[in-house]
Amino acid sequence: MGGASGEGGDAVREGGLRAVPAPGFQPGERGANRRRTHRLLAGAAAVLAIAALAAGDRSATVAPTAAGARVDVAALARTVEAEQDHVTAVELAAWIRDRKPGLRVVDVRGADDFAAFHLPTAENLSLTGLTRAPIRPDETVVLYSEGGTHAAQGWFFLRARGIEHVYFLRGGLYEWMTEVVNPTLPANATPARRTEFARTAELSRYFGGVPRIGGGAAPTAVDDPAAELPRRGSDDGDGAAAAAVRRVRQRGC
Amino acid sequence: MIFPLIDGDAGSGGAGLTVALVLGVAFGFALERAGLGSARKLAGQFYGRDLTVLKVMFSAIVTAALGVLWLSRLGLLDASRVYVPETWLLPQAAGGAVFGIGLVAAGLCPGTSCVAAATGRRDGVAVVGGMLAGVLLFAEAFPLLDRFYDSTPRGTLTIPSLLHVSPAVATAALVAMALGMFAGAERWERRAHVGGGS
Repeated sequence: MGGASGEGGDAVREGGLRAVPAPGFQPGERGANRRRTHRLLAGAAAVLAIAALAAGDRSATVAPTAAGARVDVAALARTVEAEQDHVTAVELAAWIRDRKPGLRVVDVRGADDFAAFHLPTAENLSLTGLTRAPIRPDETVVLYSEGGTHAAQGWFFLRARGIEHVYFLRGGLYEWMTEVVNPTLPANATPARRTEFARTAELSRYFGGVPRIGGGAAPTAVDDPAAELPRRGSDDGDGAAAAAVRRVRQRGC
Repeated sequence: MIFPLIDGDAGSGGAGLTVALVLGVAFGFALERAGLGSARKLAGQFYGRDLTVLKVMFSAIVTAALGVLWLSRLGLLDASRVYVPETWLLPQAAGGAVFGIGLVAAGLCPGTSCVAAATGRRDGVAVVGGMLAGVLLFAEAFPLLDRFYDSTPRGTLTIPSLLHVSPAVATAALVAMALGMFAGAERWERRAHVGGGS
């Protein structure tokens, strides 16, 4: 709609110094026809918008299950046994980096802890909040806490609400810190392990981490050319994250 | 059949590029038809004597918003797979300012500069060259900008999630705003034309 259609001819003639004529002003039959078309299109847009309002929002958010709703415990137990209830920190990091569609990372710790440090893209929801937060069935929810216990409990709450795609970060923030932010490759690692580590190291650097080789007293930064890629300063770049984790570790799970 | 048939990013390879090429050509064609390949048209927007840019862009936004809303309502589109860019407040505000300066100075944005270059306008070629030089400069300077680039992340924000309204309400409000603006813009242009005596 707008004055869009049929202006190409005017715009191509750029020779003169005169200003481009105002497209809204088109005397004669052509102008009248165009105005009619514009009105028709505007009307169609209005009708579609009003119809959308009237149709309501199917929005497909899963309403919290009423108290006492039945849960298929056996099915949940099978999911847990098949280890399909959790993700590793490296898997989660890859999801965040690759912008997995519909991914929601949920931090179930307190607001203060969340403010001090949280995973990229995470939102903060208490366990109570989890029980009533609107979640679409097509979303993939990953819960995490300091260790993993609270997140695992939250996993059950969401599954009990009938939400299918729920996972928790198995080792919590500890795992994130040791596997993503500061992954360390033992000096005597096998070649296969080294190849795998290269992938992890790339992820780590994406999140501003510092991958290291050698579990000795003085770990050295990875010595490969790729490590020279832009990386946040290892001293204060991840300082805030490291300090937050130190506090987390001191407190225990 | 549920759209999108393929994801545009990693993994889709050739199919993704083919779709991108077709959509890009169609986009360029629409821009040229709207007259936006001409820097005069964009300059007219900034001087308030030709609001085509405003109308074209809002037509596109309204069309896309209604399309996404209704196609997903009808089960033809999986809206959760439509990529929503993440927000980094400060770096994007800074980028917006740089972009704005370039837009006003050149009278062309990245899309329309490609259109202008493709139709043989020399200013378009110059802007495309400048844009590519800027991309190269940015890539080389990235180590210096790295930390700023990743600062103030806010994740994916959408108007419905920010205002806690349903997508239908947000879309209806958008359409109402756009229609009001179209009417206002037409009136403004008619007045500017009559009064301007060009």
